[in-house]
Amino acid sequence: MPAEPLPQFLSSIKLKYVKLGYQYLASHMLTFLLIPVMVAAFLEAAKIGPDELVSLWRSLGINAIHALCTVLLLVVVATAYFMSRPRPVYLVDYACFQPARNCRVPFATFFEHARLMPFFDEKSVRFQVRILERSGLGEETCLPPANHYIPPCPSMEASRAEAQLVIFSAIDDLIAKTGLKPKDIDILVVNCSLFSPTPSLSAMIVNKYKLRSNIMSFNLSGMGCSAGLISVDLARDLLQAHPNSYALVVSTEIITPNYYAGNERSMLLPNCLFRMGAAAVLLSNRRRERARAKYRLLHVVRTHKGADDRAYRCVYEEEDVDGNSGIRLSKDLMAIAGEALRSNITTVGPLVLPVTEQLRFLASLVARRLLRSRGWKPYIPDFKRAFEHFCIHAGGRAVIDELQLNLRLSAAHVEASRMALHRFGNTSSSSLWYELGYIEAKGRMRPGDRVWMIGFGSGFKCNSAVWRCLRTVSTPVDGPWSDSIHRYPVHIPEVVKLL
Amino acid sequence: MGVNSDAAAVYGHKLSTVVPGSVSGETVVHELADMDLVMKLHYVRTVYYFQQSETVDGLTIVDLKKPMFRWLTSYYPVTGRIRRTEAGRPLVKCNDCGVRIVEANCCRTLEEWLQVPHSARWRPLVPDKVLGPDLRFSPMVYVQFTKFQCGGMAIGYSWSHVLGDPVAGTNCINLWGQLLAGNPPPKSLLPHSARTPTARPARQPPVSATPLSVKQVEPAGDLWLIADACKMATDSITITESRLKHLQSEKLNSVPAFEMISALFWHCLASVRRGGREPRVVTICRHKPRAKKCAELSNEQMISTVSTSHASPADLDLAELALLVSKQKVDETTLVEESIDGDGGKPDFVVYGANLTFVDMEGVDLSGLDIKGEKPVQVDSVIDGVGDEGAVLVFPQGADAGGGSKGPAAVLILPEDQILKLREVLKREFDMA
Repeated sequence: MPAEPLPQFLSSIKLKYVKLGYQYLASHMLTFLLIPVMVAAFLEAAKIGPDELVSLWRSLGINAIHALCTVLLLVVVATAYFMSRPRPVYLVDYACFQPARNCRVPFATFFEHARLMPFFDEKSVRFQVRILERSGLGEETCLPPANHYIPPCPSMEASRAEAQLVIFSAIDDLIAKTGLKPKDIDILVVNCSLFSPTPSLSAMIVNKYKLRSNIMSFNLSGMGCSAGLISVDLARDLLQAHPNSYALVVSTEIITPNYYAGNERSMLLPNCLFRMGAAAVLLSNRRRERARAKYRLLHVVRTHKGADDRAYRCVYEEEDVDGNSGIRLSKDLMAIAGEALRSNITTVGPLVLPVTEQLRFLASLVARRLLRSRGWKPYIPDFKRAFEHFCIHAGGRAVIDELQLNLRLSAAHVEASRMALHRFGNTSSSSLWYELGYIEAKGRMRPGDRVWMIGFGSGFKCNSAVWRCLRTVSTPVDGPWSDSIHRYPVHIPEVVKLL
Repeated sequence: MGVNSDAAAVYGHKLSTVVPGSVSGETVVHELADMDLVMKLHYVRTVYYFQQSETVDGLTIVDLKKPMFRWLTSYYPVTGRIRRTEAGRPLVKCNDCGVRIVEANCCRTLEEWLQVPHSARWRPLVPDKVLGPDLRFSPMVYVQFTKFQCGGMAIGYSWSHVLGDPVAGTNCINLWGQLLAGNPPPKSLLPHSARTPTARPARQPPVSATPLSVKQVEPAGDLWLIADACKMATDSITITESRLKHLQSEKLNSVPAFEMISALFWHCLASVRRGGREPRVVTICRHKPRAKKCAELSNEQMISTVSTSHASPADLDLAELALLVSKQKVDETTLVEESIDGDGGKPDFVVYGANLTFVDMEGVDLSGLDIKGEKPVQVDSVIDGVGDEGAVLVFPQGADAGGGSKGPAAVLILPEDQILKLREVLKREFDMA
């Protein structure tokens, strides 16, 4: 009588345990190899007996000096080893700018203003409306006061006013959360791609908060939407060189001076998607901050595809035929983003993936090389096994869709990105922090959870940062989501009819 | 100084939009009642003048806009836009599109400006836009802030009558003033009663009796403006308390002030128009009393007509006219409402100016708007889109909110030559300046 086929779930459970066992074995390979060796040595020593062991020792002829030198050598080696290890970098806390209700731009208002602008022709208006309908943005995103005018009045004064509003608000919140004293800040890194006045935004912060005269301040401009992680990387490197320091990282994008007033389609997208936002992050390498720090920075991996001409010109600021300056997005943006991502995860993979996944990837690579004609699809490692949370730059719905597909993520994994895009729009380099805020506000962050932040930006760059959560973040969380989190997640339709 | 140069004195217009702070909702609509649609071709324009002071000087446009998001959250239907049902009936889609704000400067001082004749004074300070030609993108409320050379300020407020009567309109802007002063919104502010699409009884035209108080006009389509209105001028005449008492005691004690003043102007205008189109029938418009703090948006008018059977009003004694006005009103409110077709919201009517119209502005709280405690020194309030016969708005406490009981004021909206002649008649017969 043929055996009854195992019930589906039973067989899948058995398979699951087999899989888990295999993964555990592979991750702790070294330990498992070492155990038999230790057992054998112990058994051997037990067989010999203690007296024989002592005489064996004496016969080696080691005298006191030898012993002392050996111990000293060991101490020196150990010290060198511990000194050369990178200092841990802790994220003490962060704060995001909460846009004022006054700056809200509902869809209807955006549409009406686009119609009333003297420089837009009808096709441009229709194009912008179509983009907005499919953008994944909600009705609560905010534009700075200057952009509420018909036509917008982007003066330098208005740009500075926006910068002061968003940056100071975020830093004030951070100071309130952490009790940070401005005089304690040793390193200041500010990134804002499209607005770079003199004196710089970092000087503006030094002036406002009366920071120390020996502060190490940096202002990164022109580096695109991935500059947030570049700033974090820079702060981390500086924290390696300077012990017992605090680093303040401010990421923002100033919208006021960058309204495109022309009719080139490829340059109209930023008008529709970019919104006000800023984030202030406090990093430290002080041991005592370990107790209250939220995250620890594990890795930052930066990938620059600028050597390729196509990638370099993919997001390009230039003037159109009428002399209006804007940012041109090329048609193969998604393809280039995909390539940059693949490049990046090739480096991130070995740092974070469990051994089994790496072995699988290696096997697939070898197989593809050997069996080139068979056309095997490249194996994309399962990053869901390496991370609990994903923060994907909310550059637009297409970016999130593309990454969800590429990394085989579920809807739950990209929920933070989609909801941040809906509530705040594309806030450029600070979007990753709004998404992290969403995960925390939903109470999903647990100690030990790993977070992967992926940013894309002009250049074309793909930057990743990996964080580990150090303590439970309890809800309700005070932040930009505090008044709206109860309404999320929302279902975002494919197309929102605007009329 | 010609009208053109007055208008040219106001320059540097900057347009922007303010929206409600909270999302109103996906498919929220504000239904327009029949009376709302009757009034749709009219607009209420009000200008508040504030003298230079430290408070007024210290206010930037950011300060003025800050309370607006909270204000518009309470009054979110005014930020919507007109749409039509399938049958063609207009309604308001509450899509938070916003209120249009205009900023301007004036190269004259407030004092100089107040010397300008009434008709030319208010027009440059309040946007004179109407709904249409594209209804879907026409704001229903405008606010203009004009800074004078001396530091004074004028706030121009344009309100589409389709949203509500002048009482509702002034209550709306007064709330903004209270929020500007830092007061929390009053708890007793009633939320908008959800206007469920009531089952309108199917009405078959023609109606039994055509109301006299309104005039049907050519279909306005998507441009809600009276097609062939001759340009109306405006003027304001204050009737001092003593004069009023004199008139009342001379003739009759029991006639209230509004009826008295209406009769007065009816008589005078009749003599001005003698030989031409004499106003045998007049329309009287009163507002139903409404709680001050109510955020209700509706047109709560009581419209009635008074007619002199055979005699010309110019020949009648003032006392008789006054009695006629107070006692012989024929209420046409229901009749007017029923003239509107339930489904399509047609036809289009003119109410103010169909006949000579007297509007009792009791309950319109013009002095309710203050800038952090500063009251306006002068308020000009008129109705735009008035028909050929003209209208007189009677303010019980005077349109001048400068304090001091000056007495009621009448704002005339008439063709320019009639105003001049009317003033002559008033001087001659009643010794009123």
